[in-house]
Amino acid sequence: MKTDSKTIDELLKNWDPDPNSLRVRVNGLGHYYGTGDARKQVLFNNTLNISPGEIVIMTGPSGSGKTTLLTLIGTLRSVQEGSLKIMDTELLGLPSKDIVELRKNIGFFFQAHNLFESLSAYQNVRMACELVNRKESEAKPKIEQVLTRLGLGERIHYKPKSLSGGQKQRVAIARGVINKPKLILADEPTAALDAESGREVVTMFQELASQTGCTILIVTHDNRILDVADRIVNMVDGHISSNVMVQRSATICSIIREFPAFSELTASNLTAVADSMELRRFDAGQPIIQQGDVGTEFFVIAKGDVDIVIDGNRVNSLKSGDYFGEVALIKDQPRNATVLAKEPTSCFVLDKDEFRSIIDASATFEDEVRQAIFDRQ
Amino acid sequence: MKTPIAWRNLTHNKRKLLVAVSGVAFAVVLMFQQTGFENALFDSTVEIVKQTDCDVIIFNRARFALSSELRFKRDYMNMAAGIKGVKSASPLFIDNTIALFHATQTATSMEPKPRPIRVMGFDLEQTVWASEEINSQIQRLRSPDSALIDRLSKPEFGFQFDDQSLIGTRTGELLKSDVELVGTFKMGRDFAHEGNLIMSARNFAKYFGYRGIDPLSVVDLGLIKGQGISPEKLRNRIRAALPPAVAVVTKSEFVDREVAFWSASTPIGIIFKIGTAMGFAVGIIICYQILATDIADHLSELATLKAMGYSDNYFRSLVISESLILSILGFIPGLIFSLLIFQFSAEMTGLIMLMTIPRAALIFGLTVIMCLISGFIAMRKLIAADPASLF
Repeated sequence: MKTDSKTIDELLKNWDPDPNSLRVRVNGLGHYYGTGDARKQVLFNNTLNISPGEIVIMTGPSGSGKTTLLTLIGTLRSVQEGSLKIMDTELLGLPSKDIVELRKNIGFFFQAHNLFESLSAYQNVRMACELVNRKESEAKPKIEQVLTRLGLGERIHYKPKSLSGGQKQRVAIARGVINKPKLILADEPTAALDAESGREVVTMFQELASQTGCTILIVTHDNRILDVADRIVNMVDGHISSNVMVQRSATICSIIREFPAFSELTASNLTAVADSMELRRFDAGQPIIQQGDVGTEFFVIAKGDVDIVIDGNRVNSLKSGDYFGEVALIKDQPRNATVLAKEPTSCFVLDKDEFRSIIDASATFEDEVRQAIFDRQ
Repeated sequence: MKTPIAWRNLTHNKRKLLVAVSGVAFAVVLMFQQTGFENALFDSTVEIVKQTDCDVIIFNRARFALSSELRFKRDYMNMAAGIKGVKSASPLFIDNTIALFHATQTATSMEPKPRPIRVMGFDLEQTVWASEEINSQIQRLRSPDSALIDRLSKPEFGFQFDDQSLIGTRTGELLKSDVELVGTFKMGRDFAHEGNLIMSARNFAKYFGYRGIDPLSVVDLGLIKGQGISPEKLRNRIRAALPPAVAVVTKSEFVDREVAFWSASTPIGIIFKIGTAMGFAVGIIICYQILATDIADHLSELATLKAMGYSDNYFRSLVISESLILSILGFIPGLIFSLLIFQFSAEMTGLIMLMTIPRAALIFGLTVIMCLISGFIAMRKLIAADPASLF
């Protein structure tokens, strides 16, 4: 994957989202089922932050707690332990009156469409409009527009019985999005659909996320739709075992795979490395490393130019995609040079232990690094 | 405009709706039947009093019910007649235990077994009855051994013919003496009496000589008609003038007293009340079953509404609406069917089966309460549970 500077700009911009604008903030969240002796913990101390406009796919074996987490975020379950904020409202101990209000900002989709058989597609969608007391005259064109956009223009007044599975699911989606929710939660939305209908549904989700900035959280086993995810959260036994920002990882990977030691890594290892890298920003003129310090980190420049200074003399400069800091880590020596940011610079940083474990996995690494060091001098 | 979910859900599946409505209608019929028979007991028992033309009734204070045979001295009637405001004071003689009667000209050759009948004697010169039908036949009662027979008397007396009008042209045997039936009237049977005969006081004295040297010296009911005075004032005036051995009440008080006796002091009234309660309980079970099934059938849809932000009050009003719809839809066929049963029962038993608006309203009220209670029980889970546990 070729990384252009625009992608990197985008990535850097969204790297550290403003904590105040987070849609979902999960902190130390635990959950239990049953009471007394039968009480069983199903979620353990989970932490997860999701930004507006982000599409998150949650996967994991059945019983891992992902649907529990989804329904907790969706206010469909009472929070028992830890903190869970959606749209800056703490759900723990929130009075049910406020929960009911909050639910109006959430769109929910299930594997089952849950439409009233006794109501037409139009009336089912209108049930959502009535919730916000929208007038019939206002609601009607809106409902017709949404249903038409979803390809149900001809079947607006059909009862669910006369619609196909995909069509029913689309009616359910129309019902869920008609009030422009800030948060959309979907539990296996494509499981009951064929590939084509499933694709339509996730395409809808993508459009919603990019157009309205709504946050979408999908629990699924369906690997056909993984490509829409901005982030993939994997759950195992009630813990979030990995939380990978797909776009970020891909971008980082495309940068760091240029580094000889990393070029041999398999895609999944590379992703793991990328995922454990931290972004650090430096101002113009700020030293990134100081000559003589103990080296504990490895740097890859995401954006910006830096000068390498040895004993006060500028010996070289590096630009985005270049890396530095590896010599001290490999040789366990103090830093042999100072690196100064020439302009506002962003670097991906990997700590020493992580770095060493990768080196150990890479047989030809020593040679390559030596070559690289040689080339630089 | 709100989508009428309650109506849609109930009426969506016609077969289920039919079952649901039949269930409620069944409970309605059960309750109507019990209250119907209970009221038939009361109505039939007091019908004799209702058919009299009077304002105030005098009777032996110890007479706890119409069917008891405690009488008072006729002298008191004469005393009452002299009181200011009294237009007429007419004695009514009633005998209902030893009066064995049967028809003699029967369709079959077998002579029927004599059965007890209620016989009422009155003074032909005085206005005793409100019924125009009886009053128009008074001339016929002047001949000796003549009597009018209640058309609703039990056929077992020997009236096995279809045309009721023929009954009044037959002869019969009352206490082993011949009696000529010269016409009919309509009063109806009750739980104690299988039929009625009306005759002149003179004839009554002849058949019921066992009452003493002068059988007409003791009176069962003293019927007082007032003039220019309210029944209550007349009652007070007579009560003040007569000794405490007799009770003096207005006609409506007498009816209430008689109903109260049957309702509270006899097992019969209580049995019917238990029956009504059973109908109510059965109704709650049926309605609960219907509503709980309906909620269960739509649980994931309703849970979705809950997840969308519909409040608990919405679901309460939804279930209340369903309950009200069910009670109305079930009440109408229940009422119609009950009317048919009333008519059939009235024909079969000779009892008076009345469907009045207050009685129908009472059962409708019970039906609504029954459906609401069931509805509230049925929706408890929907209200209490987290939406996540409902899918």
